[in-house]
Formats: sequence, C-alpha cells, structure tokens
Amino acid sequence: MVTLLGTLSLWLTLFFSISQFFSLKKNQSLKIIKICVIGLLIFSLISFFTLMYAYIVSDFSVLNVFQNSHSTKPLIYKISAVWGNHEGSMLLWILVLTIFNFFIFKFYNKENFIFISKTLETQAFITFGFILFTILTSNPFEETIKVHADGLGFNPILQDPALAIHPPLLYFGYVGFSAVFSMSIATLSLENNQKIAWYNYIKPFAVIAWTFLSIGIALGSLWAYYELGWGGWWFWDPVENASFMPWLLGTALLHSLIIVEKRKSLQTWALLLGILTFLLSMVGTFLVRSGILTSVHTFALDPSRGLYILLFIALIGTYSLILFASKSKRYFDNNYFAFFSKEGSILVNNILMAVVCSTVLLGTIYPLIVEAFTNNKISVGEPYYNSTVIPIIIPAILVMGIGPILGWKKEKKYEILKKILPSIFLTIIPTFFIFMIYQSLSFIGVIGILLSFWIISNNLMMLIQKNKKYHKGMIIAHLGVGLLILGITGSSVWQKENVSKMKIKDTVNIEKYNIVFDKIEESVGPNYVAIKGNFLVYDKERNIITKLKPENRFYHVENNFTTEASIHTNLLRDLYIVLGAGNINDGWIVRIYYNPLVIWIWIGAIIIFLGGITSANINLKKLKTFDQ
Amino acid sequence: MKKNLLIIPSIIFTFVLLTFFYLLVIERNPSELPSNLLNKDIPIFEAENLIKNKKFISTNEFGNEIILVNFFATWCKPCRDEHSYIKQFNNNGIRVIGINYKDDPKKTIQWLEKLGNPYSDIPIDKHGRIAIDWGVYGIPETFLVNSKGIIKFRHVGPMSKKVFKKINLLIKEIK
Repeated sequence: MVTLLGTLSLWLTLFFSISQFFSLKKNQSLKIIKICVIGLLIFSLISFFTLMYAYIVSDFSVLNVFQNSHSTKPLIYKISAVWGNHEGSMLLWILVLTIFNFFIFKFYNKENFIFISKTLETQAFITFGFILFTILTSNPFEETIKVHADGLGFNPILQDPALAIHPPLLYFGYVGFSAVFSMSIATLSLENNQKIAWYNYIKPFAVIAWTFLSIGIALGSLWAYYELGWGGWWFWDPVENASFMPWLLGTALLHSLIIVEKRKSLQTWALLLGILTFLLSMVGTFLVRSGILTSVHTFALDPSRGLYILLFIALIGTYSLILFASKSKRYFDNNYFAFFSKEGSILVNNILMAVVCSTVLLGTIYPLIVEAFTNNKISVGEPYYNSTVIPIIIPAILVMGIGPILGWKKEKKYEILKKILPSIFLTIIPTFFIFMIYQSLSFIGVIGILLSFWIISNNLMMLIQKNKKYHKGMIIAHLGVGLLILGITGSSVWQKENVSKMKIKDTVNIEKYNIVFDKIEESVGPNYVAIKGNFLVYDKERNIITKLKPENRFYHVENNFTTEASIHTNLLRDLYIVLGAGNINDGWIVRIYYNPLVIWIWIGAIIIFLGGITSANINLKKLKTFDQ
Repeated sequence: MKKNLLIIPSIIFTFVLLTFFYLLVIERNPSELPSNLLNKDIPIFEAENLIKNKKFISTNEFGNEIILVNFFATWCKPCRDEHSYIKQFNNNGIRVIGINYKDDPKKTIQWLEKLGNPYSDIPIDKHGRIAIDWGVYGIPETFLVNSKGIIKFRHVGPMSKKVFKKINLLIKEIK
C-alpha cells in the first residue's frame, strides 16, 4: 500500500514536471501552468510524507525503512532517518525544489511573465532531472521480498537532534540556489529588447538560500564538535568543503547584487556567480553520492548514481556556461570603481571570496586530478587550507569592517578616518582585555582578535547611529561574522589538549582546572547501553565548578560504538571530556580539551542567521512593492 | 573585457568534469589502498599448521607455483560470505593457503567441516604477527603470489564476482 502510493505519487511528480516544462515552452495559459506547479508540489508532498509515515509506523516491507530504521528507535530519529539515507534524502531534495518552484510562480504577473516563465522552465527541467534520477537509481519505495521482523537500524552517530535538522536546512540552501540559477538563465535568455530588474528577483532567493546554507553548515559543524569527539569543529573534509564552496560564492553573489542594484555594474559577474553557485552545489552532491572519495558523509557506493549526476551536471553546466559565454555581453559595462568607496570594497570582497573558493576547490579535487593522471594517491589536509585560506580571508575581513560605512563613488580619506576613529578605539580596548585573560601572544591570535573586534565595533557604531542608510540585515549578519571570528580565533589559537590514562580517583590539570575521575557507572538508554564516566571539575581554590559525564555508548542493533563528549560551556571557554577505551584495572584513556571562546562560533552563526532572515524579509517586501 | 574571457568558465568546468568522469568509469575503489608489497617478495614467516603436524615454513612452500593467500577468521562474517569464491579457486586447481587470523583452532576446524576446506595449509597467526608483516588492513584480505614468490595482487575486503574474475584473468596472464 505504502509502496504503491509512494511510487505512484513519485511518477506523478515526474509527469507534472514534464508538463510544466512543455506548457511553458509552448506558452500555454496561466491556468495550465498553475495546475502543473501545484500538482508538482502536492504530489512531492504526498510522496515525502508517505515515506515518513512508513518510517513512523516501522513498515519493514519497504526496503528503505528496513535498511535504515528499527522499531526501538525514538520517534524523532525515525523521522530524521527519512533524510538520513540516500534515497529518502532525494525525496526531501525534490520536495524543496518544488517548494521553491511554487514560490517563484507566486511572483508571476503581467509585467514579468516572460522572465518568470523562463525561470520556471529551467526550474522544471532541474526538478525533472532529480525526479528521474530518484526513480531510476534510488527509488525509496522499493519493496522487500522477505518479511522482516525488525529493521537493520540507523547509524548511531546520526541519531542526534542537531543532525536531525541539519540536512533540511542545508537543502534549503543548496536548492535555493537552483532558483538563483534558473533566474540567471532566464536573464541571459531574454531577447535584447526585453528588460527586467532581474537582480530584484534574484536577491531575496539568494539571501534565503545563503542564510539557510549558513545555519546548515554551522549545525553540521556543531554536531561534529560534540559528537565526533575530536575536540574540533571543522576538519576540511571534502564534503564540508562541498558546502563551503557554494557558501563562498553565494557570499560574493549577495554583495555583487548590491552593486548591480545601485550602480548597474558587475551584471555579467553576478550572473556568472548565480550559475556557478548552483553548479558547485551540484558538484557537492556528486562528490557525496558517487562514492568518488571517502569521507564521513559518503553514502553507499553505486557508480550508476555518480554517472547519472555527472551527466546531468554536464548537461545543465554546458548549457548554462555556453549561454553565458554567448549572451552575457549585453550586460557588460565599463564603470570605474574608486578603491575607497562602497563599491570598491565590495569588489575586493568579491575577488577575495572567489579566490578562496578556487583555493578550496583546488584542494578538494587536486587529489582526484593527481590520481587520474598519475595513479598515485595523495591527500590534501588542514595545513594546506590553513596556509592558503587564512591569508586571503584576512584582508577580506579588514575591508568588511570599513566597507559598509563608506559612501558610493568616491570618499575623502579624511572623512573615512573621522568615521572609523571611534571604532578603532573600541577595537583596541577589548583586544587588550582578551590578552589579559588568555596571556599568550601569537601573530594569528592578535590579528584574529583585532579583526573580530574591528567588525563588532564598527557594526555596533552603525547600530547606535540608527542611520537609515545602513541596511539592518547587513549590520546584524556582519555582527554575527565578527563574533564568529572571535570564536574561531580563540578556539584555534588557545586550545589546550590533555590525553592521559586515568584510573578512578586520578587527577589531571588543564589550565587552571583540576579534574578528578570520580567513578564510572553503567546506564541504559532507549536503544543502547552505555558506560558513563563521572568527572569532578575544581578550580584553583578547590571550589567545585561542575560534574562532567562523558559516555561510551553501545548500540546493539547496529553493533556500533559511539562516544558522547561531555562539555561544560561558558562565555569564555569550553571544557570538553571524551572517554576512550579502557577497563577498571588499567584505567581509561581520557582526552580533555580546553577550548576558549567556542560558544561565540554558535552565537555568531545564530546572529548571522537572524541577519539573513531580516535581510530576506526586507528584500521580499521591496520586491513586492516593486511589483505593484 | 574581451569576449574570449567569457569562455574560461566553460573550459575549467569541462576539465573538472572530464576528470570526474574518468575516475568514475575506470575500475577504482576509493577505499582501496595500494600495497607496498606489490611486485615484491612475500614476507618470510614460520607458523604452526592447523591441519598438518609439521611447521609451516614459507620459504619451503612459496616459489614453485601460483598461490592464493587468504587471511580469514571464523568470527569474521564477510569471510563466510566469500568462502564459496575461495572454494572455487581450489576447485580450479589453484593452491590456496589460508592464514587463520587471531582465532580459536577448535572453532576453525568446526567451521571448515561445515563449510568445506579449500586450504592446502592453514598457518596459525595467533597474535596477528604475520598479518602485520603482510600489511593486512582488515580481514578478509587476499593476495595473489606468482610462481617466483612475488606478490602480484592484493584485495582488501570480501571477494566479489568482479574481483573473482579479475584474479582469474591475472592467473591466466602470469601462468
């Protein structure tokens, strides 16, 4: 029943995507297009929720449910298991595509119908490609032949609240850029006599996609921080890079659109970014799903899937880039940009973001290229990224502090100095205090802290001045970036690590804390058993600060161990304990990290998200008034 | 700006795609690790023999014929899955030596009685010393050794139809 309903509605989405494409190509009436758009949305909702239903009631006659679920699993992880596997996540991907498809359609009116029609045409084609992919290579509604009493379970490290919502947020980001892509294509395929303020349409979608991508990446990072138990939050894993690259280009795109809007410059460049951002999202999908490289994220290996996605990327990539090469000339301009101006600073941002993105891209695919040509396996790791990305991103952040307060065209240097004097003052004082607390100087540390307070103070000044000229969403998001940099710098420069073998009642010192291994106990969860360490944390005056209880869990269904780090957080530092292997006689291996300022990474990310939402809201309102 | 510059994105894009395509089409497993022992002499070892009463001495056994070396254990589920392939090698007249990795001898004998024994000799690797010398990554793992005692092929993980065919082709080649 479930498999029948699911398969049927999946085929119907395929039907509606094809009809949407052709009815737009043949200029059918609005009514027919509306039926297609809504039909597409409804049936993708049905197929998605049918699968979710199968997971909730543990219907093990569905192969996908059997392989990824188990009846003892808590409800929230039954639901999140829907997108925790390849086939189910494709359904989510399709659903998000159709949601964006629907919202693009909502903007349809007499003035813009050519532009919106062309956008929906591309969108229908992309949606069609993904549905066909799902039906041909990854149908989640396949039936099992045998009858199974219970499922095989779900990877325990994915049974986690942050990871339950990480994929949907990320997909809103990736797929949101498909709307930007379709609009860029529509803009390029307009006839020379057709004119439209395309940037006003692209901007809200770009902001929404970027905002969700940002929070999605941050959540993934938060999960890696407390679940993997490695003490860090970013590992330059190929799949992390796959999400970071569209984020970088998306950032460049958001900023270039400001220039496009205000000065009608950089249009070609912005359109290219619109195309490339989505293509990079697709390349990310390819890297994850084809099994071409190994990473914590890769799904089961199946070359036919990789081949399909690759052919699809080749198809839309070739089409869009050739269209760009042949048609973008009409959007050229020869405007002159002064360096000390708003547009000058945005241009610097764009160039640097594009350079960072190429650097990350090179690092990610270089091992693959080397292997293709020489058959040798190499790996590119953290040292490469640290030594290339950081120096490029420092000037970008420096400019970020000052860019928003500069005026358009040209600004007098004396005026600039007057504007930034208070924030220079505001930057130096807290930097001084931070170094009083952590008392260790390093070049990168000083630069990082200075830069973060530079951003924070500049944006606080703007917030205080209540100048209408400054875009509120921008200020909030920039403030978030400032806090983010504070956290990144603190946790990478001043991190302390202590690994030791501890028996009960042993004590370890880290920074100004004494940590006592008090006892070890067993506990039982809904679908696992665990041993739990009990650690007492004292400060120098022997006052107890907290108890930390790291766990080692054993999930019997999946036959898998996980480590649950225990973390004590305050505004200045995290204390992070991981319990390793061991036994009562020899003691346990215990890893303790002292991670300064980590919490500001998450606070920064939330504020960036809020800034993005504010900005998306403003841009949507602007578009609506513009439409009327 | 010249119009030619606008083609650059397409060129880079094509190059990257072609690389991906090539890697996807060639026979390649990203979790496969090249063996340092490939095209080198096998590591010399001596061990107790599970099914014979004399010591297994590698220098006496290798170097006369093509031999398949299979690291296995009864506690390893994938070893059971690949067992039918290992037996087929034996049926085809290839000598197979099974190195019994960190296992219980009694259980191993029962296991072989139940599933059939394709191995001519079973050196016992009680503490995993031999596996370390051979650079074993995880069992099951299979090596093809030619008649000069040189390792020609290594496969990590359970045998599949594809790998089975590949090894048979290799055997024909080096004969």
